[in-house]
Amino acid sequence: MTEKNRTTLDRREFLATSTAATGAFVLGFWLPPNARAAVPHGASWYEDPANREINAWIVIDPDDTVTIRIAQTELGQGVWTSNAMMVCEELACDWDTVKLEYASANRDFREAAPEWTLPVPGEGAYDRDGGGAPEFRDRSYVNGIPDSLYRRMRTNAAASVRDGRYYLQLAGAEARERLLLAAASELSVPVNELAVKDGVITHAASGRTLSYGQVAARAAETPHPNPEAINIKPPSEWTLMGTEQHNRDVPMKVTGETMYGIDVRLPGMKWAAVRSCPVYGGDIQSFDFDAVRERPGVVSAHQLPIPNPELIRGRVFGGGVAIVADHWHQAKAAIDAMPIEWDIPAHLANRNTAGMHTELVAALDAPGTVRVDEGDVDAVLAKADRVIEATYSTPYLPRARMEPGNATVLVTDERVDIWIGDQSPQETRHSAAVITGIPEENVYVHLCHLGGGYGRNGNGPQAEHAITIANENRGTPIHMLWSREEDFVGTTYRAMGVARLRAALDDDGWPLAIDVRTAMQGDGFGPTSSFNNVARYHAPNYRFSNHTTDFHVPVGTRRGIGQAAHEFYRESFIDELAHAAGKDPYLYRRELVARSNLPHKDDLVRALDLAAEMSDWGTPLPEGLARAIALEERGADVEGTVTISAVVHTVSITRDGRVKLERVDMAHDKGFGLVNPLSVKKQLEGQIVWFYNDAMLQKNTVADGRIVENNYDRFPVARIHESPPEINIQFFETNHWLKGLGHDRATSVQSAIGDAIFQITGKRYRDLPFGQHDLSWG
Amino acid sequence: MALDLTINGAAHSVDADPETPLLWVIRDYVGLTGTKFSCGMAQCGACTVHVDGQPVRSCTFPASAAVGKAITTIEGVSDDGSHPVQVAWKELDAPQCGYCQSGMIMATLALLERTPEPTDADIDAAVTNICRCGTYHRIRAAIHRAAQLIKAEA
Repeated sequence: MTEKNRTTLDRREFLATSTAATGAFVLGFWLPPNARAAVPHGASWYEDPANREINAWIVIDPDDTVTIRIAQTELGQGVWTSNAMMVCEELACDWDTVKLEYASANRDFREAAPEWTLPVPGEGAYDRDGGGAPEFRDRSYVNGIPDSLYRRMRTNAAASVRDGRYYLQLAGAEARERLLLAAASELSVPVNELAVKDGVITHAASGRTLSYGQVAARAAETPHPNPEAINIKPPSEWTLMGTEQHNRDVPMKVTGETMYGIDVRLPGMKWAAVRSCPVYGGDIQSFDFDAVRERPGVVSAHQLPIPNPELIRGRVFGGGVAIVADHWHQAKAAIDAMPIEWDIPAHLANRNTAGMHTELVAALDAPGTVRVDEGDVDAVLAKADRVIEATYSTPYLPRARMEPGNATVLVTDERVDIWIGDQSPQETRHSAAVITGIPEENVYVHLCHLGGGYGRNGNGPQAEHAITIANENRGTPIHMLWSREEDFVGTTYRAMGVARLRAALDDDGWPLAIDVRTAMQGDGFGPTSSFNNVARYHAPNYRFSNHTTDFHVPVGTRRGIGQAAHEFYRESFIDELAHAAGKDPYLYRRELVARSNLPHKDDLVRALDLAAEMSDWGTPLPEGLARAIALEERGADVEGTVTISAVVHTVSITRDGRVKLERVDMAHDKGFGLVNPLSVKKQLEGQIVWFYNDAMLQKNTVADGRIVENNYDRFPVARIHESPPEINIQFFETNHWLKGLGHDRATSVQSAIGDAIFQITGKRYRDLPFGQHDLSWG
Repeated sequence: MALDLTINGAAHSVDADPETPLLWVIRDYVGLTGTKFSCGMAQCGACTVHVDGQPVRSCTFPASAAVGKAITTIEGVSDDGSHPVQVAWKELDAPQCGYCQSGMIMATLALLERTPEPTDADIDAAVTNICRCGTYHRIRAAIHRAAQLIKAEA
């Protein structure tokens, strides 16, 4: 059986099963007319697959329609477009007419990756002509990763291009070469006499042409004779990659036609609202469904156990209850009215932010994990004439994506179908199998666009909740939707943290020793970032240690992870040292980077120089304005992929304490090439606002064991008047492949605003967000 | 009880409680899903629609209050994404995840209706919706561009 037929059979299985279960699905899926138009042509979950598959990524119809399958999730970062550009570059088809659809996560489970997608071409991070240095990380408890059909379906770590570029280019090249072989056979000419452009194959000698559609059927049956020999184009030969392309899904995002998970509608579908214990680790003691069961539309109630931590990377959320109703607002009103008693462990019921902060600070003086220890930091600090010490702190922070957690699930005795916007469909597929007992090969995850992601869409149990409820309502599609307030309970948080930095300075103000201690809860992400291996700002004696606590708030991979907090600590402290030394913060940084042993230090210096030049660094500013500079890097401490940026922020503060980011000048590493520079700019612009939020506005606190701020009234998000009016971005060439740039750029907003506050008001605050302080002056 | 509503020029008779927020009537009873739910408390503006030309946050607006009035949603802005505001949005490639953009566009339409050539301060005052992706830089440019396009059409 060919792969193509197997896919088709799956489709028929679905229809037959659903009809048997509900008697309603005689026409297959039903979607609102606007939604049908919105879903990109050929999406596997609403119409039959096209029929001329060349390989798992590429389908070509006889009418020349080229469909590229996207195996990761579009959440605003542009992967829908950039992944397709990488395939299309090699395929040599017409970019303007190519169609996109999500790949099948079910098929990903059933099939292994083609052998030719496994070896990475070239020599790694410094080989311009190669595939770079992907960093697939095995999750041994997640079946099928990393060598299942579509390799890496997760969308995380700003790694989609870094990890996927080489095999997406290979996929396009493999298909192109087979299409050419098929054409050569058709025309009875040597393949090397053929040329191809925009999906049209030309034999120049005879003037004959064939379109891809005309040879697709033959190509589908033509194996590649030597797939190990397929080459990918180096950046010097790119014609589509490296150009600014509008994101392909923007047209449907201005008409309301985009299909997000929340927009899925199925015949016979019921809605579920959920209430989870607001204290993580707590559970339901009792609930009184009788009090609300007669309300309009209400169907049933379901107790939700504490979600199995093994399915959500060990995180412990609370137990809860769901109400199913005809409409969501009915379910929501019923659950709001239903009496619920919680069983909250006593040791969690009195946790609060102040106590947790005290624990973190205490942890700094307890034994930790020493990551770097060069020279004799303690001895130098003990005898130094001048020691600068600063303790910084950062709060819990959620993603607060705008689309609340949701999933639509239909469980029958044979299979599970899940419609969801999900940054890790392979893990969701596994969860469904464990919760329902239905084999994973019969789980279908139908990907939708996500209304914001910012880190595995919360890592929380949105899918697990929906699957659990649907499993108790087999045969009925259940659309589970969290309220905004539940989304704040169901999400994971960036760990709150503290850091104490100490430096001994010599008579000229240069560091003799730097001691960095950071503390966050033990399962926090990115504990080693920004300080590990080699001091970014050189000191002959350098020590870095991590210290941990045990808190109950589940933490996860929020945009920026630990690096965002750590770069706030590092860059703030360097500013403090520069001021103490009486030196220019730009030149102070430049000198200390130049003195360092960082393998990427030359590029760090170039970034600083370019940002300073762009910003007119050193020219006078009116009263109430200040400039501050900072470095951002991931990977500068070791050989390999890296992403480097330096940013100058120009900040104004009114006398009554209103802060505005007036201008941002960013010098950004281009590496060997950006796939879609427009998409990169948009990501950088967005992250400036993201980290402005972190710097000025946002924190989550804990009281009585529960997260306090749970909607946009108490958890503010910057609005358009807070967006900087001037953003300048320049890319500079470097000789490495990039590590990624979708989540840890513009962290500099934090330290820069902090230093601008100091320059303008004379006040130094070291705890985020700054907006909680009186910033008035004069 | 039946609520008689006019949405994008079409009459709908909806069997829903009169206090049902207009958002849910639009999304779940009528099936127009371009209008989004996010906060449920009129904070973010993702649910912005027009009622008799005025922008309202439909998540807290009772459906009964819209009876007899003209309701416009993102689906009613144009048949094919050709309204100058939509064209400007596409030119600037403004959306990222896109979830807030229906509301942004509806807020912008209301602004341009009464202030055809808005200043930055006008925009700050009128388009107070939340975008978590931080697309404001392009949204502001797109609003100015839309004003140009509308003026050129006139």
